[in-house]
Amino acid sequence: MKEETKYLAALKEAILQMDYPLVVKAAKEAMEAKVDPLRAITEGMSPAMALIGEKFQTGEYFLPELIVAADVMKEGLKIIHPYLPKTGSRVGRKLVIATVEGDNHDIGKNIVTTLLTVHGFEVIDLGIDVPAKKIVEAVKEHQPAILGLSALLTLTMLKMKEVITALKEAGLREKVKVIIGGASVTPQFARSIGADYSTTNAAEGIEKCLEWVKSQEGR
Amino acid sequence: MAAMTRRERILATSQKKRGDRLPFFHWWRHLQIGGAERECRNRGMGLAWDRPCYVTKIHNVVITEEKNPSRPGVVRITYSTPQGSVYMDEKRAPGTGQWHEQRSWKDVSPWAIKRLIREPEDYEIVKYIVENTEYLPDYFPIEQAKEWVGDEGVVLASLHKTPMARLMIEWIGSEEGRFYIHHKKYHDPLEDLYAAMCKSMEPLYEIAAKSPADLVWMGENTEGLLVSPPLFEKYFMPVYEKCARVFHEHGKMMAVHMDGRLNVLKNLIARTPIDIIEAFHPPPMGDLPLNEALAVWKEKVIWIGFPAAIYSLGSAAVKDYTLELLSSVVPGDRLTIAMSTENLVTDEHLRLLTSILENAELPLTEEKVERIKSSLS
Repeated sequence: MKEETKYLAALKEAILQMDYPLVVKAAKEAMEAKVDPLRAITEGMSPAMALIGEKFQTGEYFLPELIVAADVMKEGLKIIHPYLPKTGSRVGRKLVIATVEGDNHDIGKNIVTTLLTVHGFEVIDLGIDVPAKKIVEAVKEHQPAILGLSALLTLTMLKMKEVITALKEAGLREKVKVIIGGASVTPQFARSIGADYSTTNAAEGIEKCLEWVKSQEGR
Repeated sequence: MAAMTRRERILATSQKKRGDRLPFFHWWRHLQIGGAERECRNRGMGLAWDRPCYVTKIHNVVITEEKNPSRPGVVRITYSTPQGSVYMDEKRAPGTGQWHEQRSWKDVSPWAIKRLIREPEDYEIVKYIVENTEYLPDYFPIEQAKEWVGDEGVVLASLHKTPMARLMIEWIGSEEGRFYIHHKKYHDPLEDLYAAMCKSMEPLYEIAAKSPADLVWMGENTEGLLVSPPLFEKYFMPVYEKCARVFHEHGKMMAVHMDGRLNVLKNLIARTPIDIIEAFHPPPMGDLPLNEALAVWKEKVIWIGFPAAIYSLGSAAVKDYTLELLSSVVPGDRLTIAMSTENLVTDEHLRLLTSILENAELPLTEEKVERIKSSLS
């Protein structure tokens, strides 16, 4: 048990240090020592990522640290994944996210995706420049609790309305909460297109998503 | 006393002097020539035009463009050098080079879907290109623009993004956090390329400083989320200091396009020698209120870009927002308003903003703002 703690601490440290070679080494050593792969993630890497997410939200860390730490964790996960039993995210914590058609900005979307993962969400990231049709298909296929739409430009944010209209036409609108984000979106705009919530701040968006899923989990 | 010309107003404010009225202008690239534009310009709206001041020669590099029928609209641009070749893919989507939605043909640029630098070995090749790039002065576009604009506005000599902004936004790109990952994983070659770019671009600053333009403009697109304070301090501030030294020696003011969220960078920006924070976006698009920005940047002038998100809410919102903005900045010094730095502005909004701003006599007072409000109703 003590031995296992040593490996978990090494994984945590590698992510806190944002050190690619170190995470690879720590993950390999942990798997060779037969550390429970689920514990390696949930008690080794995830707490480090949560700490970095917290520092990002309080302004001690910035986007580079958040992105690099998440990427370092990905490297470690590549090694641990083959050892994992088939498992899923917490029930109900599923979210589809996309930058809408015509927009290639993904910084905000990526921050939200990273932070949601830290909070136990399964995030289906459709990428950038995603047409309404593809988003609706993904909602149909994955049945997420939440759909996140991102756009930076005032021109492309109008595409969010197309997505919501397409959701309605497909009979899916009432089955999913829709949160929109990006520098140009406002609560008035969200209301005008029929979205449930708008935010220009990743941390606030995460809070809202947690509030929604927790209310479902409490039922 | 005769009213100042639009040009005098913009320049006086840019030099931190008080003009007769709050300057407001439209960027040439967003200007919709016609009835509303003529009317608004007759009522005091100025013009600003950024023009190139140099031409570029790249030696020993062959640049080719190739279209692939299986990828419609995508153009691959390959740079072949003795060190090897790199390429980028550009998507020239419908609308590129044409009028497109709320943007004019002058402002729709191709979309880089594959960046120039993707692999560690690309750095050395791009460094070769940088080291073999020569910049030569070419002032004709500025001379011509100055003649055309006359007393109606100002002409700015436009420059590239500074080296790190170019790497982050154009050559490496920020998609999927690529720049930060490269900065961590390929730190040495990235630093090496950055140093080569700094050296290669030095002659540009003198070329711009010696140009006949009124000001020098740098299209940085600064965004505090993308550029963290440590990155800004390490890679941006020294370049701004170098540029400003050269520009100021030749009597030129330095305007930098900072159209993102700047709250996190505000104290560092205050320490830079930048004269004009151009394209400043107050909330809801930016995250720093205008009065706070003026207070923290006591030595700087702000040219705001009117937030396009407000235009999308309709005329009543535009009116309320503008009046509140004016109230928040009395006496209105060190401030100039651009009708938009992003999109075309509807005739209705152009006339509405003009109706407010043409009456914004300096120094602004609460009473004057109130009077403007009454005149509108």
